[in-house]
Amino acid sequence: MISTILLLGTVCSTVTGRLGRVAGTLRRQVLWPVGRTLERLLAPIDRVLDPVADGYNRSLGPYFGEMSGLQFGVIAVSVAGLLTAGYWAPMVGPLLGGGLLRTLALASIWAIFAMSWDIQSGYTGYISFGHSALSGAAGYTTALLIVHVDPTLSIWVTGSVSVLAALVVGLLIALPTLRLEGPYFSLITFVAVLLFYRLTTAFSSLGGIPGFGQPDVFTWDPMLRYYYMAIPMLLIALALTFMARSNLGMILIAIRENEPAVSAAGLNPTKFKLWSFMLSSVPMGIGGVLLVGFTGNVDPSTFVVVDNSIEMIAIAVIGGMSSILGPLGGAFLFEVLNHQVLHGYSTPVRYLFLWLIVLFVLVFARDGLFRAIWHRLGAVRGESE
Amino acid sequence: MLGDIATLVLQGTMISAVYALIAIGFTMIFGVGGTLNLAHGALIMSGAYVFGVLAQGAHPAVAFPITILVVALLSWGLYQILVRWVEENVVITFLATVIVAVAATEVILIRFGSSPLGMTLVSGAVNLEPYGINARPRIVQFVGFVISWVAIGLLWYYITKTDDGRSILAASMSERGAQLTGVDLHSVRSKTWLIAGALAGAAGIILGSTGGATPLMWLNPLALAFMIVVIGGIGSIKGSVVAAYVIGFLEQFTVTFVGHGFRGILSLVVLVVFLLFMPQGLYGREFAHD
Repeated sequence: MISTILLLGTVCSTVTGRLGRVAGTLRRQVLWPVGRTLERLLAPIDRVLDPVADGYNRSLGPYFGEMSGLQFGVIAVSVAGLLTAGYWAPMVGPLLGGGLLRTLALASIWAIFAMSWDIQSGYTGYISFGHSALSGAAGYTTALLIVHVDPTLSIWVTGSVSVLAALVVGLLIALPTLRLEGPYFSLITFVAVLLFYRLTTAFSSLGGIPGFGQPDVFTWDPMLRYYYMAIPMLLIALALTFMARSNLGMILIAIRENEPAVSAAGLNPTKFKLWSFMLSSVPMGIGGVLLVGFTGNVDPSTFVVVDNSIEMIAIAVIGGMSSILGPLGGAFLFEVLNHQVLHGYSTPVRYLFLWLIVLFVLVFARDGLFRAIWHRLGAVRGESE
Repeated sequence: MLGDIATLVLQGTMISAVYALIAIGFTMIFGVGGTLNLAHGALIMSGAYVFGVLAQGAHPAVAFPITILVVALLSWGLYQILVRWVEENVVITFLATVIVAVAATEVILIRFGSSPLGMTLVSGAVNLEPYGINARPRIVQFVGFVISWVAIGLLWYYITKTDDGRSILAASMSERGAQLTGVDLHSVRSKTWLIAGALAGAAGIILGSTGGATPLMWLNPLALAFMIVVIGGIGSIKGSVVAAYVIGFLEQFTVTFVGHGFRGILSLVVLVVFLLFMPQGLYGREFAHD
């Protein structure tokens, strides 16, 4: 028995060794030349855009991070693309299976979730598996207000109360748990979301499995719906990027890298972790409200289940943890793959494929796809520093 | 009242035995490699499904050892193919293992659909009503109890009486110390994953034959394993067994005296109390140094 296993082990290790050599050759013969060609092609664009980027760097750079010319160009094109998607998506959509605007609206909501997760878990390294409890709290608050208080309440009232509810639930989770060390924190949040799920299914006043169908969607017009989701998303991205590039973001990264050092510098890490959790709860609440307006239904499987939390994490991992904009890109990649490219397959097959991509990114490109691309774009003319 | 208490003791004992089986593998892996294996629940689930499929064709007594072997190899493969390449980064490791768990759910959904897969290890039930106990425990629950204690006994013998097993204990106390005395850490970790897989397989068979196998059955065992490990103390097998009984009896207590919907809530309160006031658990690991 043991000898069979040892034999298998030897076989495995030789195979992996061989694989390593193949990967090395591939990298030298294929990837590097392609990269060099791309660099040669992109360098002139970078040079042209540099003056514009310099203007940005002088005025806004200190608040949102500095960029090279090419990075600036990519951001500008992406923002313009997102803002005009209402016009071009219906034309491009049929090529990708149709319904592209719906997918983009959904991706905007998931981008909010993933960015919120990122400012807390990606930056501090305290991985939360419980973030769907926050959006769930917001969603259920909206539904309960509409069902039990007044069905005609305006979105501004229900929305702000719901965001407040997300903040309260966030504090309830964070206050007792953030003093704990990394893995304990993660597992407590995991248990918290399971408990939330059990509560929603156990008490009929919380709607049970079918949930509440009373909340209305914002609008049925796909183009308007997209902008209802995308504009808050862009504003949240702006705000979170600003926070992440400020002193606060620096402290959060320091907590991830070396918590005792943060204490030694006279800063209370628990306080800052709490701040990051609150900072994360507010956009989670907003995202939850938007999701209610998107689906028009509040039930455990769209809001609470632990798979939702894992999907947020997966999106952030694909895009690149601790970069805010990485998870944003990740959300669009993930949702477009899920609902457009893999459109023809059944749900489990699509998700299996997506999880395998996430695993691949985790093992081979820990920094995430978009972060890797971003740094590559910044260095097309060689390292500037 | 007396009947209730007798039911509580009987059911609690049997549930706790399965909980112990669930938790020991998890705590061993956590103790030795410092790795949180969130795919542990998925291994338990795969145990249930493998047994469910095998038991359709073969006699349960044949299917049982094969299932345990298969799950042990799955666990070992998971370590060799994935975890050993990322284990130096705690965050990446448990993100990767949780992704494996959800991916396993999708595989099961593709292959078996979402309806439960039923299976029998041993059929039949015992009627205890003549003795004043208001329960009809099924024989498979007794079998689970026996399997659990046989497994714990074997594990105890292996860990304390053989050199191979003692190297596992040594690695969980102090990796550097173990390395200095000539222990090959990599092979110790592989062995730990193999053993944890075998235990998970056994737990999966029992869970599957008491409640059927479903694609989401990995969640609760994982949460349970975690609670038990925290209360028992990380890396301590004795602690896990004791904590499994604490949690098992607490749950059975709430189910008998409070109501089925509150199952698990009392255990969660106990868990939070432990985390806040006794984070090292009942039998905190015998640390030398890190």
